Amino acid sequence: MVKKELRLVIVLTIICVVAGGILAWVNSVTEPRIQAQAELAKKKALQESLPAASEFRSEQLLLEQVHQAGNTNLSELFIGYHETEKRGLVSIADVRGYSSTIRLVIGVSADGQLAGVKVISQAETPGLGVKITERDFLEQPALQRVSSADQLAVVKDGGNVQAVTGATISSRAVVRGVNQALAAAHLLLEAKEQ
Amino acid sequence: MNKWQIFKNGVFNENPIFRLVLGMCATLAVSSAVVNGLGMGLATTVVLVGSNMIISLMRNVIPKEIRIPAYVVIIATFTTIVDKVMAASTPDLHKVLGIFIPLIVVNCIILARAEAFASKNTVIDSAIDGLGMGIGFTLALTVLGTVRELLGTGTLLVAKDFGFSGITFFPKENGVLLMILQPGAFITLGLVLAGINWWVRKKEEKNNG
Repeated sequence: MVKKELRLVIVLTIICVVAGGILAWVNSVTEPRIQAQAELAKKKALQESLPAASEFRSEQLLLEQVHQAGNTNLSELFIGYHETEKRGLVSIADVRGYSSTIRLVIGVSADGQLAGVKVISQAETPGLGVKITERDFLEQPALQRVSSADQLAVVKDGGNVQAVTGATISSRAVVRGVNQALAAAHLLLEAKEQ
Repeated sequence: MNKWQIFKNGVFNENPIFRLVLGMCATLAVSSAVVNGLGMGLATTVVLVGSNMIISLMRNVIPKEIRIPAYVVIIATFTTIVDKVMAASTPDLHKVLGIFIPLIVVNCIILARAEAFASKNTVIDSAIDGLGMGIGFTLALTVLGTVRELLGTGTLLVAKDFGFSGITFFPKENGVLLMILQPGAFITLGLVLAGINWWVRKKEEKNNG
């Protein structure tokens, strides 16, 4: 009886060890590629949200100041350069949507104008919230010619941003991210003026 | 049963979704568009074939007392491999399917085939069974996805991540939003199931009478 139980333990242990070994190998092969893909996607998004810049440098100090000012949804800040000239500020914001955390990239050019908004990742409702990733929403008139001193809101909240039909919560989340990025750019521009 | 019958069994007679009504969680969730259904179906097929083969290969080694944990470990291993490989090679599709890839582990079809078929049959037969079941699953998801995407958005085969904007049948403003939401999944599945049951019954009556 004892012998039989021992066999159960040994067989299951072997299966688990082999499975663990295979997974460790698969992980070591795929992980660098997944990282590279994510890095590439991020760089592309940074580039698209601030086309005027060609190089991006992370800004740790500014991020802390921005967090202290209450814009806690921003997770990374980059200053975009072209050659040695500063061309603007790119923020990465993680905002809570309807069914997922939406990761946005928001570019504000050096003259304080909103340059571009892109969604890097989200898992909103297919067919509804997902539409926040489309150009119809992200490139609507209300998101053009926005200055960093402005704060946006969807129509339902008294602003002029057209929310995606049936996805007000997802739309609000994007607006919240954009607002924080605008505030961060405003902080940076004000600091420069003093 | 010859090899062709085993294959056909999974696709038609014992289609996991339409005949066995297994794996409903993923079915209801990802059948909102053709491409989602297709991607999910193919990922499930890979896991089904892989786990069926390994389980069949080890059917005389695994004592029956611990067969369930052993199967779950094997299935989870394959699912994780598929998840990782997809994330590395097709990041766009992986992003669309999101949480449902890891959830293949708990899809009842896979454990059901391991228990009902792979643990009692040869490796080749088990691989064919997995392939048939997987294709049956894919087919059913595609049928549901076609109905829901067409009625809900007016387009078919939208695959933005692959740079394909789909075939538009009517403007999306005229789409029935309900169809791409959860109720649409239940309604479509219910109607398709009813239709298939009606057809099967009619065929049986004809054969008997």
